[in-house]
Amino acid sequence: MIPPRQPARPGPGERMVHDPPSPPPRADNALDLVAADRFSLDELASIYNATRIDYLVPMPMGPARLAEYMRVYDVDLAASVIVIGPDGPVGLGMLGLRPERAWITRLGVVPAARRGGAGRALMDGLLHTAAERERPVVWLEVIKGNEPAKRLFLRSGFTKTRELLVVRRSPLAQQRPPSLPANFVTAVEALDREQALDLLAARQVRPNWLNETASMHNVRRLEALRVTCSDGGLGWASFDVGRFQLTRIVVQVLAGDPVAVSAATLGAVHQRYPRHDTNIENLAADDPMWPGFQQLGYFDAFRRLEMVRGSEAARLEA
Amino acid sequence: MKTILLVEDDVANAMLVERILTRHDYRLIQAADGEAAIALAAESTPDLILIDLGLPDIDGQTLIVLMREMDHLAGVPMVALTAWPPEVARTMAEAYGFDGYLSKPIDVRAFPGQIAAFLPG
Repeated sequence: MIPPRQPARPGPGERMVHDPPSPPPRADNALDLVAADRFSLDELASIYNATRIDYLVPMPMGPARLAEYMRVYDVDLAASVIVIGPDGPVGLGMLGLRPERAWITRLGVVPAARRGGAGRALMDGLLHTAAERERPVVWLEVIKGNEPAKRLFLRSGFTKTRELLVVRRSPLAQQRPPSLPANFVTAVEALDREQALDLLAARQVRPNWLNETASMHNVRRLEALRVTCSDGGLGWASFDVGRFQLTRIVVQVLAGDPVAVSAATLGAVHQRYPRHDTNIENLAADDPMWPGFQQLGYFDAFRRLEMVRGSEAARLEA
Repeated sequence: MKTILLVEDDVANAMLVERILTRHDYRLIQAADGEAAIALAAESTPDLILIDLGLPDIDGQTLIVLMREMDHLAGVPMVALTAWPPEVARTMAEAYGFDGYLSKPIDVRAFPGQIAAFLPG
């Protein structure tokens, strides 16, 4: 069994909350909620995959992939819930915890148990725990087009903040942006992990939970490059180097044209790792750099809607 | 008898594909995840490889790239099995060098003909 995880370290002025959670509220209709830390990793992966069996966007997870996901995104299994029906587990929802905020993720109900209150029970349990753990702001994402889930989240008090892209790039794609001259990049500097984390922490645009600096702190093999361009453009990219895949890529343009510099910066990344596949989650759909990504062969696999509940919603609307 | 390597993590889908294809005199070898598929592909030369894009460890998209690097598999058709919408499936298949894609849920009647279309002769 996986021991309950601690949330990310608190910053100055923040405090850890270690009060033992009270049992989540009992669901109706012979449903019951139990904490997810009572289940093994294999069981959790099995339950999760069963809830996604009919999804248009196939994203199954084995135990190892699920464990990595929970570790990087600060998912607290003791705060996460499984909903039990008459014949066993029928759904789950996970809760990520960071200072002042929580994140609902991997929420799903097996097809046969939908429209019976299980989703509502999961949401109530997770929001109850977020409140108990003194996380006033709760975030989540929903696949665009998943209208039943979106309605559930709207009824639970969430509001949409922005649309996000999940994008892929094959290693067969071009490694140099076709629109830029061959000598556009004048310098590529490899940065160390601490430099990467400093750059990530200095971002002005609010990152999605997956791409927060707190997530990047948990990445095992975080690398970064800084790129200088012949027209004075300057950009950097940080990324997680997996066995076969680059993920969690963050690109920032510090000077110059966003499209040209982002394309040049990504080109440097892909020339460094020419055989790696690439998967980037939750890039803002209105990011001015997106055409630069597309010059390197990135394409839009599917979209998500980011949503928020709590004081952040009010702040963003102001 | 032609041999097909099926990479599919969903047990029900795998059984369905096996039932259909064995009735049409194909021999099936199977892997339920990417790591097992790499191991199987390294020691066999199937006539066709069917890869589910949604695998629990290594993406099917990543898997085909790895398999294309195996010299003994040069020329073996590799086909994506996917529930992605057609426009995304087409883009994925082209971007990753698949010889084509077949949509899930499979059309039981059409499936044998769809498979045969990828096999030379």
